[in-house]
Amino acid sequence: MQSLRSWSIAAPGILWLTALGCTRPAPPPPSTTIQMLAVPKLPLDPSDELWKKTPEYSAALIPQDLVDPRLMQPSTSSLRIRALTEGSHVAFRMEWTDETENNRSTPNEFGDGCAVQMPSKVKPTIPAPQMGEPGRPVQITFWNAAWQAVAEGRGDTLQDLYPRANVDHYPFQAAALKPDSPEQSEMAKRYSPARAAGNPMSRPPGAPVQDLQAEGPGSLSSLPHTTSKGSGRRIEHGWAVVITRELPAGMNEQPQGQVAFAVWDGAHEEVGARKMRTAWIPLVRPEKP
Amino acid sequence: MALVRNWQIGREMSYWYPENRPKKQFAAVFDINKCIACQTCTLACKTTWTSGKGQEYMLWNNVESKPYGCYPLGWDVKLLNRLGAQEWDKASYSGQTIFEAAPAGERVLGWRPGERDYAYPNVGEDDCAGSVEKGASLQVPHLIWFFYLARICNHCTYPACLASCPRGSIYKRQEDGIVLVDQSRCRGYRECTRGCPYKKVFFNPLTGTSEKCIACFPKIEQGQQPQCFVNCIGKIRLAGWISKPDQARPENPLDFLVHIKKVALPLFPQFGLEPNVYYIPPIHAPKSFLHQLFGPAATEAVKTYQAAHSDADLAGLLSLFGCTQQVVPAWKRDGDFIVGLTDDAKEIVRVPFREPVHIAAPFDDKHQVARVNCP
Repeated sequence: MQSLRSWSIAAPGILWLTALGCTRPAPPPPSTTIQMLAVPKLPLDPSDELWKKTPEYSAALIPQDLVDPRLMQPSTSSLRIRALTEGSHVAFRMEWTDETENNRSTPNEFGDGCAVQMPSKVKPTIPAPQMGEPGRPVQITFWNAAWQAVAEGRGDTLQDLYPRANVDHYPFQAAALKPDSPEQSEMAKRYSPARAAGNPMSRPPGAPVQDLQAEGPGSLSSLPHTTSKGSGRRIEHGWAVVITRELPAGMNEQPQGQVAFAVWDGAHEEVGARKMRTAWIPLVRPEKP
Repeated sequence: MALVRNWQIGREMSYWYPENRPKKQFAAVFDINKCIACQTCTLACKTTWTSGKGQEYMLWNNVESKPYGCYPLGWDVKLLNRLGAQEWDKASYSGQTIFEAAPAGERVLGWRPGERDYAYPNVGEDDCAGSVEKGASLQVPHLIWFFYLARICNHCTYPACLASCPRGSIYKRQEDGIVLVDQSRCRGYRECTRGCPYKKVFFNPLTGTSEKCIACFPKIEQGQQPQCFVNCIGKIRLAGWISKPDQARPENPLDFLVHIKKVALPLFPQFGLEPNVYYIPPIHAPKSFLHQLFGPAATEAVKTYQAAHSDADLAGLLSLFGCTQQVVPAWKRDGDFIVGLTDDAKEIVRVPFREPVHIAAPFDDKHQVARVNCP
């Protein structure tokens, strides 16, 4: 009887202890902000060890379905984001699932891509998340897998895209023109209208990213110079891309800024407005020591 | 979407932007009956404009055999299938245009050609509509037929390429109605290559932008006809300016052929773009086929053309094609001559109604030699 009484006292205690310490703790609630981590120098390599120590934010992607042409079929569902800063610049590491690598841009092939968008100036009033709005511009850094392939050494000729293509002759290869001479380059430019017009899209990209700004859908324009950097790498089942860019003006005067992301899946012919995107996500500065 | 007036389909229709006609509209008449598919026009364009890197596959001008020829592959039938029934109620089109049939989330009903669609420019060329059986006799319209269709950008009044571009990188010039891709603004989204039903916008994979026929605007600005017009061996083409039907002037050669004689018709008017290249239909092709290509006015246009021998003005004006490099904004018949005029009535060219013929005697009395017609 005594032993039974002892057990009756001990059993609830064991259960209480089990509940307290022997089960897995509940996961922390998902982060609602992207917390930047302070580092002395920003890494550009997506596989840099620093990224493993950086907290990850998982963002749900939604189709761009506000402006025609829209993306009617959702594709990439989420984006995993990490952020580092050294004070003046921010580096984002984006990782997403994409089983097919698309790094060609031809009449019917589209490169995979991603972009980071931030207000041109961080203020209490926040621009519209879809490419900003008139008077409230946003700055965008765009990475494309086709540019990445060129940056990694793919050439800028027809044969680099179509190895078995044969071209008899280009006018700028006339015998009268010395190869690689300024005269030959000038004549070649005449047959390359976008290049002659100074369109940054037409130049062989030195970097796989381009800096842009916008004040609403349809208003995207290139900045005179791209100062951001980027690097993309194929990982198992997808892409990992790092974009480093300057923090927007006013970022150090506000408790937090905003950032939005977009992803294009070339296999689904996603380009321009046909994209998966996030809403604005709060971007929080590292706490001062 | 705005409501705009499209006179080619005899009704108002929906379009992405409000009606905004240019001060002048570049237009052309192609006489299909005279085309021999020598492709001189194609080469004239190619060597002038698309000899650069990334432009290898581009044919801003091409000539294809109908019914089976097409560049890119199946450009017409693929869209006709998507568009469904295209009924006309006399001169009014009762079906849907490609703007009205746009699926949710799209600006126009379109499709984008792939690499293989551009890979076979000779498929269907010189193929006729059937096999010629032993003992077949010639009759009009031919039982077995084909004809050549020369195509450039139609510089449409309601361009689908322009409507498709979410960036506004394509514009229609107010001074001449020529439709251009702004090469400094295009970001190569290829919405225009998807939207243009005639597939006359091409993506340059080495510049990352789209390019198209520019109607040789540097020549047009100098009062000259484009390269594919002035190099045409068959003299099938005439460039000029077209008015709205209610403002047609008989002294304008384009107005005379399109609005007054109604002998030249737009290609696939049911798409709804109000294209500005007008074709004199071939006289030997079946009526139903011509209706699909040029609308229900095709039968009358063929009759008018066949009766041109008894219409001095019409026959005379047709002989003005290919006779001058200059754009001819006005014309008149002066006895047995057709005269091309400038806007202020200055003479550009004078063409005899019939070429003078001189038959030499078989024996030259003066030199006492027999004339032979071969070396």
